Amino acid sequence: MNPSEITLLDGGTGTLLQAAGLPLGELPDTWNLTHPQQVIALQRQYVQAGSRVLYTNTFGANRFKAAGCGYTVEELVTAGVRCAREAAGPGCEVALDIGPIGQLMEPLGPLSFDEAYETFRQMLTAGEAAGADRVIFETMSDLQEVRAAVLAARENTRLPVWVTMTFEASGRTFLGVPVSAMALTLTGLGVEALGFNCSLGPKELLPLVRELRSWTPLPLILKPNAGLPDPATGEYRMTPEEFCRDMEEAFPCGIRMAGGCCGTTPDFIRELARHLPRGPLPLELISSRGGLCSGRRVAEDGRLRIVGERINPTGKKRLQQALRENDLDYIVALGLQQQEAGADILDVNVGLPGLDEKAMMVRVIQALQANLDLPLQIDSSDPEVIEAGLRTFCGRALVNSVNGKEEVLNAILPLCRKYGAAVVGLCLDENGIPESWQGRVEIARRIVEAAERYGIPRQDVYIDCLTLTVSAQQSQALETLRALMAVKRMGVQTTLGVSNISFGMPEREILTVSFLTQALAAGLDCPIVNPNSPAIRKAIAAFRVLCGADEGGEQYIQLCAALPAAPAAGAPASSGAAPARPASGGSSGAADSLEDAIFRGLGAEVVRLTGEALAGQSEMEIIEQRMIPALNRVGDAYERQELFLPQLLRSAQAASQGFEVLKSRLAQHAGESLSRGKILLATVQGDIHDIGKNIVRVVLENYGYSVTDLGRDVPPETIVEAVLREKIRLVGLSALMTTTLPSMEKTIRALRDAGADCKIMVGGAVLTPEYARQIGADYYARDAKRSADIAREVLG
Amino acid sequence: MERKLTGIPRAEALRYLGVRGEPDARLTADLDRCEAQLCAAAVPRVCWRSFAREADGTLTGTSFRPGGEAIARHLAGCGQVLLMAATLGAETERLIRRAQVRSMADAALLDALASAAVENVCDRFCEELAARFSPQRLTSRFSPGYGDFPLSQQREVCRILNVQRMLGMTLTPGGLMIPQKSVTALIGVSDSEAPSPARPRCADCPAAGNCRYRKEDTFCESI
Repeated sequence: MNPSEITLLDGGTGTLLQAAGLPLGELPDTWNLTHPQQVIALQRQYVQAGSRVLYTNTFGANRFKAAGCGYTVEELVTAGVRCAREAAGPGCEVALDIGPIGQLMEPLGPLSFDEAYETFRQMLTAGEAAGADRVIFETMSDLQEVRAAVLAARENTRLPVWVTMTFEASGRTFLGVPVSAMALTLTGLGVEALGFNCSLGPKELLPLVRELRSWTPLPLILKPNAGLPDPATGEYRMTPEEFCRDMEEAFPCGIRMAGGCCGTTPDFIRELARHLPRGPLPLELISSRGGLCSGRRVAEDGRLRIVGERINPTGKKRLQQALRENDLDYIVALGLQQQEAGADILDVNVGLPGLDEKAMMVRVIQALQANLDLPLQIDSSDPEVIEAGLRTFCGRALVNSVNGKEEVLNAILPLCRKYGAAVVGLCLDENGIPESWQGRVEIARRIVEAAERYGIPRQDVYIDCLTLTVSAQQSQALETLRALMAVKRMGVQTTLGVSNISFGMPEREILTVSFLTQALAAGLDCPIVNPNSPAIRKAIAAFRVLCGADEGGEQYIQLCAALPAAPAAGAPASSGAAPARPASGGSSGAADSLEDAIFRGLGAEVVRLTGEALAGQSEMEIIEQRMIPALNRVGDAYERQELFLPQLLRSAQAASQGFEVLKSRLAQHAGESLSRGKILLATVQGDIHDIGKNIVRVVLENYGYSVTDLGRDVPPETIVEAVLREKIRLVGLSALMTTTLPSMEKTIRALRDAGADCKIMVGGAVLTPEYARQIGADYYARDAKRSADIAREVLG
Repeated sequence: MERKLTGIPRAEALRYLGVRGEPDARLTADLDRCEAQLCAAAVPRVCWRSFAREADGTLTGTSFRPGGEAIARHLAGCGQVLLMAATLGAETERLIRRAQVRSMADAALLDALASAAVENVCDRFCEELAARFSPQRLTSRFSPGYGDFPLSQQREVCRILNVQRMLGMTLTPGGLMIPQKSVTALIGVSDSEAPSPARPRCADCPAAGNCRYRKEDTFCESI
């Protein structure tokens, strides 16, 4: 393919096959086997019109969409490549066409990353064996699905990879992926070209093409629809001439492959051939924007970015406990709190002796990216943990960290290269941290050289000149700042953890903030701080005013209004505070007692009054004698229909804030447990409606039970295994649909057959007490309140 | 087709939450706040296609023949059938899922509001269709899973409408829709002006076996 010319692709396939007799709603891919001559005839028309790359008719030939069509994935793909090859002849390439799987991935849908990967791998190996020249993943709207696809292609085939995604006019895909995140992630993953197809016409896509151009130096692909269809008939009205006029405008924006999608025909391609620029295209020199990203948000290079440091168990007992108990909600709350406090990037460190760090890193990243939008900094010294994290994270991550040691550089830089991640480089090596700034700059130089050797450009290297404690090594503060100024001139990014500076000194905050300000002035791009600290946030906001980044000081003024100056003395430092979990509004007002606060659902009051109660009562006494009776009062009012579900949940939530206070206290002197017994909950296999089950969980937890929640769509054997392993005595199963009730029955039978010594309660919208009895459940729980009553009956 | 979400029927949401009587001030404030979040997140989309209906009930140009007596009764006398799908979009799904971690109380409110919202989107869309097809008359919506119209046929409806490409909707292997706040339905177009268009019967509702309203000898607003 000539890089200085535009290569013509093909046009629509599905609609034309329908015109040739394919019934609407049938899988077009089966025609590769049942009507190969029609498929070849259509594709040949494209070749005659000027197409130089034919897409195979295999868009939906994956194991999910092809289930029940009578052919295997391998048969469909092989026949698809064969048809295209026959139509292509010499001088025309064949691209294995792969569309979205048709199942949403976790966390919104049921499909796991590994299942998606395997689904793509199956198509890819079949396509390569059949002789495809490259692969095109098209019409994608989920970035994580594309990541699985690209990794499957790169790890199992030698096919060059193209990707086009489908965007709305808003500049995001159906799943909320912005153009920038697509570009950063896929450029990092090493695709050969990327762009857009489907959804809109060329005119609507033009602004998106310009946006994409600014984020990637790669060749761009454009394959729009023929405008928008008539909704009643699905027909497109745009003419080839109109289509090509709009396409021409996009050509100068770096388009190197052009074709059409829905509604376009061989006539469109023929017309497009006439509109191609004559002669070689001028070489464009476009400076690409860069940055880190999640699937939804970008932390762009060139501005100050705050790295939140709170997800790191070192010296944090409550977080250590949460990690040991697999309490992901606590960790998510830590993340949310930092996101709301203005963090741009979150550091994630889950290393704890005796814990499977790799498995935990994967779980924590999954939970974080399900609930917040920030790009992550994967913090570990173990390459395996880093790779597992990079594989899981959807976006472009920062790896923390490498240093000047050869073996570390050689173990971690290839991973960064493979997944397209940026990397933190610490200015130390086997001889420790150099005392002089020159020594640190020398190490930085070695790190940058090594990174470039591995194909990682220096703007993706974040050098950390390291902060030493001023109480122990006073002269080092200045050395750090000097090193920072020098490495900044190397064209790298800079990062620095600043809190360490004040260790062992009185009034730490003033020292930390002063050092932070000096470091920012010396060229620090990414301070690693606790964004929950008002002093730090204000110092950063002040810096942005002084360097002109915050125009008119608007953000500074807003922040000062939101965080008024604290009273001079006796104010508790916020840095150690536990994250308030259910933080949302309406909890104002004062309560007379803890019981009253719980009854009225006043979270902040519950926290205050629980703290006060601890002066006179033990944690267990507070739960037994005050919280549970208050929750019972709520439950009784609910039974009498004086309160309803929203108030019941509000009270449960307020109580849970009180529990958090007790748990944080107990974490300081470990050993004691507040649990009144274990309950296992699951939404049965095939069912994805889990809000009812989650409501039950919250209520049960607030009666002091520890709940093992297996989630939704859970196979019977997983439930049986967990019940036996954890010696569970009460199991709650939920199903919302009539179609998933048989799965509930199957689960109960599996539990009984396995001899599990447990009671089973069931609930869900379409369940009745009669049916519950019939399928062998011990209890029918019509609502969350009833499930708490059952728990008390079974577990006490 | 993208639409805007405006005004969610509050009474409907309260009914889903099981709230009887007037909501108190706190609940009203919470609902207001959640409704604002939902309106900001939701991107309602609808799509539809029109088909002639053959004598055996098959939709012309497809191999789709709606199964069961209930749908046959519902479409009796209709020579034309509209297939429709509507969704509040993935961002709504994400909003409700995320709320479940932060505040289950908010999540329950959002869930109920979103259920009311997607029904409302369908209602307003059907009014538009009714105006477009006037003087022909439209039956009410009838969805897979009502009565003996098999839920498994959801898959055929979704394929014909190409809902993944048009609306970003997908079906799980078990035939459940994601985003969950989505609807598919069939609507009959009747040439005759006289008989009042069919509405689904109580007995066709999937919740009939366990319906609180039926136990109390009242009805929900869907009937």
